[in-house]
Amino acid sequence: MRPMQGYVYPNEFELHWGLLIVVYPYLTGLVAGAFILASLARVFNVREVQPVYRLSLLTALAFLIAAPLPLLAHLGRPERAFEIFLTPNLRSAMAMFGFVYAWYLMVVLLLEIWFDYRKDLVIWSRGSTGVLSLVRRILTLGATDLSEGALRFDAGAGKLITIVGIPSAFLLHGYVGFIFGSVKANPWWSSVLMPVVFLFSAIVSGIALMLLIFMISSLVRFKRVDMACMDKLAAFLMYALVVDFSLEMLDFTQRLYEAEESIRILSQMLSSRLVLSLIVLQVLVGTVLPLMSLALVAPTVRKQGLVKVPDELRRLIYFVVAVLIQIGIFSTRWNVVIGGQLFSKSLRGLTVYKIELLGIEGMLTAGAIVVLPLVILLVLVKLLPPWPDAEAGATAGIGLGLAVSPARR
Amino acid sequence: MAGRSARRWVAAVPQQVRHLGAIFALLVAGLVGARQVLVPKTFGERGHYRAAAVDSIVAQEIGYAGHAACETCHPDIADKKGQSYHRGVACEVCHGPQAAHVLAPMDHKPPAPRERAYCPLCHGYNPSRPTGFPQIDPVLHNPVRPCISCHDPHDPTPPHPPESCAACHGEIARTKAISYHAELPCTQCHAVDRRHSVSPRQQRPSKPTTREFCGRCHAQDADSPPEIPRVDLASHGPGYVCWQCHYPHHPEAR
Repeated sequence: MRPMQGYVYPNEFELHWGLLIVVYPYLTGLVAGAFILASLARVFNVREVQPVYRLSLLTALAFLIAAPLPLLAHLGRPERAFEIFLTPNLRSAMAMFGFVYAWYLMVVLLLEIWFDYRKDLVIWSRGSTGVLSLVRRILTLGATDLSEGALRFDAGAGKLITIVGIPSAFLLHGYVGFIFGSVKANPWWSSVLMPVVFLFSAIVSGIALMLLIFMISSLVRFKRVDMACMDKLAAFLMYALVVDFSLEMLDFTQRLYEAEESIRILSQMLSSRLVLSLIVLQVLVGTVLPLMSLALVAPTVRKQGLVKVPDELRRLIYFVVAVLIQIGIFSTRWNVVIGGQLFSKSLRGLTVYKIELLGIEGMLTAGAIVVLPLVILLVLVKLLPPWPDAEAGATAGIGLGLAVSPARR
Repeated sequence: MAGRSARRWVAAVPQQVRHLGAIFALLVAGLVGARQVLVPKTFGERGHYRAAAVDSIVAQEIGYAGHAACETCHPDIADKKGQSYHRGVACEVCHGPQAAHVLAPMDHKPPAPRERAYCPLCHGYNPSRPTGFPQIDPVLHNPVRPCISCHDPHDPTPPHPPESCAACHGEIARTKAISYHAELPCTQCHAVDRRHSVSPRQQRPSKPTTREFCGRCHAQDADSPPEIPRVDLASHGPGYVCWQCHYPHHPEAR
């Protein structure tokens, strides 16, 4: 890659926000996306995606737990991070984001999971011993009432929380976009469309992730992959991708038509620094190719998809598409975070970003943080099995007349 | 009676809500408690910061005396500096905080930076510095010599213009010194206006622009000592000016 060129202010040689800040919106996007998928199942009663409902909630939680880590690792004094909760600063978007995060974690995600799993937790922990059972007993918080009224309350509360959760998930990721979109000094970021674009790319990445996790978990458990569920996920993925791509193109067209003074340097950046990450990875590999594949094989317009392909091949295409979309969305985050710092505020020069390998902001740390949620998910899945056949009512049959979880009633 | 109705009211609340409520109450109590313990008492009195921080900063020992204190005892230097380009630069910018020197002039002598690395902190070339601000490239500008050998820090304008081209074009001078052109004066090839040494960018020296110029020494029929290499200007790299291939300050370099 060519080194720094043109005129760059001395404090712009080095990028202040590196790879970790790319990872952060990527992770929160997956949280919001996975949660919105879960809410499709619960609030909008999309029957086909019921099998991923609990898995989506746990995935959202696993990624939400890991989401602040890149920020903490980026901070010079991470041990002071908690102070934003002690002395709330209403005038700082970044400081208030701590509360958005806490609201989403404590009030939305944990509560919804708790209400959904409470019955199962009580039954699983009953009469058995061992660490797992003890943890589950603690997780019931002592609320062991399994009367029909209590279970009805669980279902109602869960649904209410999901309804509150949808705008909360929008808020969570819209806020990340807002933080970039409100930097009015930076023409690459400053756009009112930013929160909306972030949100839809979050939905895209969340659905694609759930598609991957659902497929891999089925294979690992030697279960048949539920193709009805996969087809529905693929259809939703396609719809979200269409909206996401349209919004991005709208943003792009608007910038091009407005042609503000920054347009020259931005187009120079696009045609030199961001060719691979934006044009190739984000647009071609991460959007156009998946869009075309899904349009051909996913049952969107017709019941069968435009081209009829056997289940195995379709599954493989979905898998590849989901992987490509993850690459594409990661590139989207890269292009926003890194792209916004590659050009000088003088609008007359471009700098370069070189990733470290080691070091707290290096590739290894970032990689570890991306893998960590999957490890957390593995633990959560052991603790709170999300599979339909693991539900207490399905095996224990304790005569509650609730063979399926409240969400599936 | 009131106790029984309150108990009945509590019993009517679902068990889950009671237990969750207790947990949330604990969390809120923890947050309130943590705020009591961890948030400094004076936080937020005047703004989003600890108001007492101002007092603790005020209580710090004062290190600087201020230029007025210096001028009382050093009026000659203050006068000289007051007439120079450094009139806006306080004494303690270079000599460091000197409150201790004011209190006990003999016990605390102020340091005076004499090393070459010091002046470029302000005068080293940096594109973000304002146009017209005197800036030099420390590598090329009179290498090795301490700045104070030409510039008096209290009146930095040099007493006379640079005497040799090497004062500013040191790298070229050092390169030329080891080349076959070492003996040639700069004016052999460059016509230099006298004013170039005081306003270098306004009065630029000329540069040879034709092949015939080099040919004055290097052409076949040139009137120059026989040991000077000759070329046939008609056939040797026609269409090119000589310096496009030969660097005149080091012509044998390839």
